[in-house]
Amino acid sequence: MTAAASTVPRRRELDRAVGLLIFLGATAMLFAALLLAYAILRAEAPVWPPAGTPPFPRGAAAANTVVLLAATLALRAARSTDRRWPALAAAALGAAFLVLQAALWRRLAATHLGPSAGALGDVFFALSAFHALHVLAGLVVLAATRARPARLLTIYWDFVLIVWIVIYVAVCLL
Amino acid sequence: MTATDQSQGGDAGGDAGGPGGGPGDGLEEIPPEPAGFLRRHVFSTDHKVIGRQFLFLGLSFLAVGGVMAMLIRWQLARPGVPVPVVGGLLFGRAGGLISPAAYTALFTMHGTIMIFFAVTPILIGGFGNFCLPLLIGARDMAFPRLNLASFWTMAAATAVLTASFFVPLGPPQAGWTAYATLSTAIGAPGVGQTLWVVAIYLNGASSVMGAVNYITTVIRLRAPGMTYLRMPLTVWGFFLTSILNALFVPVLAAAMVLLFFDRVFGTQFFVAGTTVGAGGDPILYQHLFWLFGHPEVYILIIPAWGIVSDLLSFFARKPAFGYRVTVAALVGVVILSTVVYGHHMFTTGMSPLLGESFMVLTMIISVPTSLLFLNWLGTLWRGASRMTTPMLFCLGLVFTFGVGGLTGLYLADVVADMYLHDTYFVVGHFHLIMAAALLLASFAAIYFWFPKMFGRMMSEALGKWHFWPTFVSLNVVFMGQLLIGYAGMQRRLYDPSVYEFLRPLLPLNRFISRAAYVLGASQLIFVVNFFWSLFRGQKAPKNPWAVGTLEWTVASPPPHHNFDRIPVVVRGPHELGHPAARALGKDWLGQDEGPVRPSADNATDGSTDGSPPDGSTEGAA
Repeated sequence: MTAAASTVPRRRELDRAVGLLIFLGATAMLFAALLLAYAILRAEAPVWPPAGTPPFPRGAAAANTVVLLAATLALRAARSTDRRWPALAAAALGAAFLVLQAALWRRLAATHLGPSAGALGDVFFALSAFHALHVLAGLVVLAATRARPARLLTIYWDFVLIVWIVIYVAVCLL
Repeated sequence: MTATDQSQGGDAGGDAGGPGGGPGDGLEEIPPEPAGFLRRHVFSTDHKVIGRQFLFLGLSFLAVGGVMAMLIRWQLARPGVPVPVVGGLLFGRAGGLISPAAYTALFTMHGTIMIFFAVTPILIGGFGNFCLPLLIGARDMAFPRLNLASFWTMAAATAVLTASFFVPLGPPQAGWTAYATLSTAIGAPGVGQTLWVVAIYLNGASSVMGAVNYITTVIRLRAPGMTYLRMPLTVWGFFLTSILNALFVPVLAAAMVLLFFDRVFGTQFFVAGTTVGAGGDPILYQHLFWLFGHPEVYILIIPAWGIVSDLLSFFARKPAFGYRVTVAALVGVVILSTVVYGHHMFTTGMSPLLGESFMVLTMIISVPTSLLFLNWLGTLWRGASRMTTPMLFCLGLVFTFGVGGLTGLYLADVVADMYLHDTYFVVGHFHLIMAAALLLASFAAIYFWFPKMFGRMMSEALGKWHFWPTFVSLNVVFMGQLLIGYAGMQRRLYDPSVYEFLRPLLPLNRFISRAAYVLGASQLIFVVNFFWSLFRGQKAPKNPWAVGTLEWTVASPPPHHNFDRIPVVVRGPHELGHPAARALGKDWLGQDEGPVRPSADNATDGSTDGSPPDGSTEGAA
């Protein structure tokens, strides 16, 4: 039956969507647990940020957020066109985000906000470094598809962006 | 449409079971069998091969963990006496003596190996992989390559864990729970603990890959007519366990990430009293660990419950008593298991209000577990029981789980736990469930599915010789632990006899140790049986146990693609002692067997063949 034959790829696509949703649920739990650890530390602290902590460079972190947002939008655009450049732009912006994050960690370490310098630095470094690994994974998969992203990959990138925004708001702004 | 093509003899075409849009019937094409040794046996994507790989990996580590348990028992029975036979080989530098550091490493690795590298691969990795597609009528897992990656991630984890034995300052010594600050850079400066963290993270990654696969497979690949309430309880067990795995193993991963950062990058999440700012909190680690750790208990036991619920029905030759209640009880346990973890932390100085809440929630868990237990008894009640080896092991589980579950009530009680916490009472309690019940369930599963896995029967006589000494000695060991714990002996003591009040317990400790050696020695009977049956066992027929689930409708062992035609399921998994089957000269009906009435009238079937009245409306998509 031709009808049944034509639905097999659609079924496989749905299988993958279900699998991706479960995987994102699991990853969300991981970040939720990390944020819970942050919440408990913060609830236990007499003052937050701890006394003597230098002001956090919110602006630099915000700029990185904009870069990741641009990367995600570029990847979305890549889905609605046959041309290659939006996907390549997404890859470049994603890589730029990682470089900017690394620069931010260096700057924080220099201003006594790096890992091992205090609770706020610990939290930001652990959360952002683990998040960066997920951005890196998204870049690797995008490279593996030769810049022809599947719809599910854009969902993953959206997820990684949302996680970053939550981290940025929870750690840098609040 | 397609269901009609696949139905047997065309007489099930009008049944409620097989609408064309049901999940699973789109996989018409039979995947080709791969050629070459590596693709077929090492880097295979076949769920049956991967299941066997997990089984072998788990059994090997079960042996390693078991030897460690025996060394621990030697130290508790004969403190300060060199270990006979293997002492010179293992502890040569100390003259065959188990040093305090070696002892600490032994109980740490015993727990780690048994929980993460023995029971998890045997039951979830091994039987989960082997059974799920076969029992729901699928050709393979939803993501065969992810399955391959899951096994090899687990293999990498075992390599990293093994490497920790050979680094400066030796293997990890922080216990299987790796509590901070024992596990932070202050308590454990060696590389061993870092490798432990990496191994547990990889192990968790493997579990989550498995969970993604299992859940998707159950949701998407059930054969036409295999509604959720026609799934064998074994499938329910693996399905629910996978949901818990997907949700809570990541929490452990988060703890491992933070511990890794603490150890490698110098953050101080789990280090109290830092010089700058608020600092971290060692108790935070316990929250994260038990947030995962309590669901983990159920992650391990729920597949065992599912398997036993099926097997008791199969061998009592009766439908499983209260199938829907059992499913509801399993779901109830899954939900409750997520909100009780605080009972592991009563002694950390938590607020009494919080402690009481956790106590009440923990005790509520005994409601669904009691339902489950009563349903097992209901299944057994007035059954025509066949005392095969798998049945004996299942009955053994019913007993040990009963005792283990009841002792849990004492530990759930805040006041009793203040005294019993960290004593051997806890050790006895969790061994009765995590060791005794899981071991018995694993053996039941091995004896039951061995014919399907390897195409040969295991020896029933040797199986029974394996069961009785195992069952008796493990009860002596773990109930003895309850006793010495109640008498006040703390867990993890290197030499309890240095305390005067524990000295009178030495004879009892020696007795427990002797029972433990018997337990270890009786596993040799299993090893002999396993390998003898693998090569010389009687050839297994298609359906040696005469039961109706789908895996028994295909050859033993099944072909690469499992099913030549995707079966159409018309009834539940436990149609045993079925009156309609008598006409066919047997006492069971297969899940995909067409209507059995001789008239073979399409118009009214489904009303009298005992299938649940719920059609196929629950199929996903």
